[in-house]
Amino acid sequence: MADKQAANGKPFDSMDPLRQMRDTYLETWAKAMIDAVNTDAYAKATGTILDTYLSVSSPFRETVEKAMLQALQQLSMPSRADVLSLAERFTNVEMRLDDMDAKLDRIERAFTKAPIARPARKPARKGAE
Amino acid sequence: MADACNVVDPFAGMENKLMSFTKAVTTKIKIDQTPRQLIWALNKTKLYRYCPVLPEEKRHRTPLMLVFALMSRPSILDLRPGHSYAEWMLNHGYDLYLLDWGIPGPEDKNLKFDDYVLEYLTRAIRKLKAFTGVEEFSMLGWCIGAILATAYAALRPDDGLRNLILLTAPLDFSHKETTFAKWTDEKNFNVDKVLEAFGNMPGGMMDAGARMLKPVDNYLLNYMRLWDMLDNPEAVQSWQAMNTWVTDTIPLAGGAFRQLVVDLFRNDLLLKGEWFLRGERVDVSRIKANLLTIIAESDHITPPCMSKAIMDHVSSKDKELFLIRSGHIGLMAGSSGPKVTWPHMDHWLGPRSKANGSTT
Repeated sequence: MADKQAANGKPFDSMDPLRQMRDTYLETWAKAMIDAVNTDAYAKATGTILDTYLSVSSPFRETVEKAMLQALQQLSMPSRADVLSLAERFTNVEMRLDDMDAKLDRIERAFTKAPIARPARKPARKGAE
Repeated sequence: MADACNVVDPFAGMENKLMSFTKAVTTKIKIDQTPRQLIWALNKTKLYRYCPVLPEEKRHRTPLMLVFALMSRPSILDLRPGHSYAEWMLNHGYDLYLLDWGIPGPEDKNLKFDDYVLEYLTRAIRKLKAFTGVEEFSMLGWCIGAILATAYAALRPDDGLRNLILLTAPLDFSHKETTFAKWTDEKNFNVDKVLEAFGNMPGGMMDAGARMLKPVDNYLLNYMRLWDMLDNPEAVQSWQAMNTWVTDTIPLAGGAFRQLVVDLFRNDLLLKGEWFLRGERVDVSRIKANLLTIIAESDHITPPCMSKAIMDHVSSKDKELFLIRSGHIGLMAGSSGPKVTWPHMDHWLGPRSKANGSTT
């Protein structure tokens, strides 16, 4: 036994058999769970849980949003919707700038008379020079 | 007395191991370290160029643009030095560009695939061409990024896309027996109610969904594997790098999530040829770029059946389907990345990235 272990180059570890048992058990469990989550019953159950959570939390969320909106109005500060609309407008401005940038690129190329695509490199021939 | 001193305290060993374990689980390590330069940005989207490491004459002529999924960080493509796809491709002479979609904010909740494909991706490609001065380019799309790349290739087949690489591409949604198809079925999942509550689809919810596909593996075995290899610093570092990426979740824009569920998972509009983006039909039969589709055989997120059918729909004369014994992420970030996936990609893409026409 000891010789065999020495030949394998691994010292005997009394925990190895237990570890193997553990891995076998967990592997079986893992496969069973993969099958379990792929059932219609599981899909329906998680859907119901999520739906219930959203239904229950919705009134609280709306109340908090209304209170926040009123507080911001009292403080003369922009609301979330105001900031979001501003961000959307920034993106539109960015798009216009991007189009202008692309046009400038084209104009620059036309002025410098550079071809749109770089000419293909010819493969160097041995002894060409 | 001397004997008493020689007795090993088993609890001390256990305590040390527990401390190392906690440290490994709670510490985020630095990933995404390959040097790169920002060349374009629009809203949250950024286009980076990885700094080339080879002189120009040794590099491939055709630039390669990486398009990753919308709901995860692209840092998986550049995990850590010595085990980074980006670094590997640079060392093999590719002119490499990364399209990073960024993190959508509440103001982006209405962004749809229409916007991502026809505004952001199209503009990024326009900039890529202006920056490189070449008209032809290659594109690699991974997961949802593969949907975006496919839609672009179908909508703009004459726009210079020469080579298209699709990694674990969820394109065929006709298989209603897949787990995600069951979860997102309208009997079980009210997508409008979720988006009304959150605006964008929260990253944590999508991460939990992906983990629940293999609950024991992701919530238990993953940590037990770490426990077993705590005395191997290299393996621990690798685990930490992956954990850093996995736990860095980002939301998915509400409009795009709704399309993913309703148009694709429920109605399979893409391969039916009934998917319209801004009024334009996404007809995959118009795709004529050279096509390499890479599928992971053990992929639980995008089962192989979802990726195979595209091969029969495209018009590409040069196309190849490559199967790898790996998982959805493992095929690029696991040990099969540098051993199988990356070399095969290089073997396929290299000859097709030269200046003069196709090699086929």
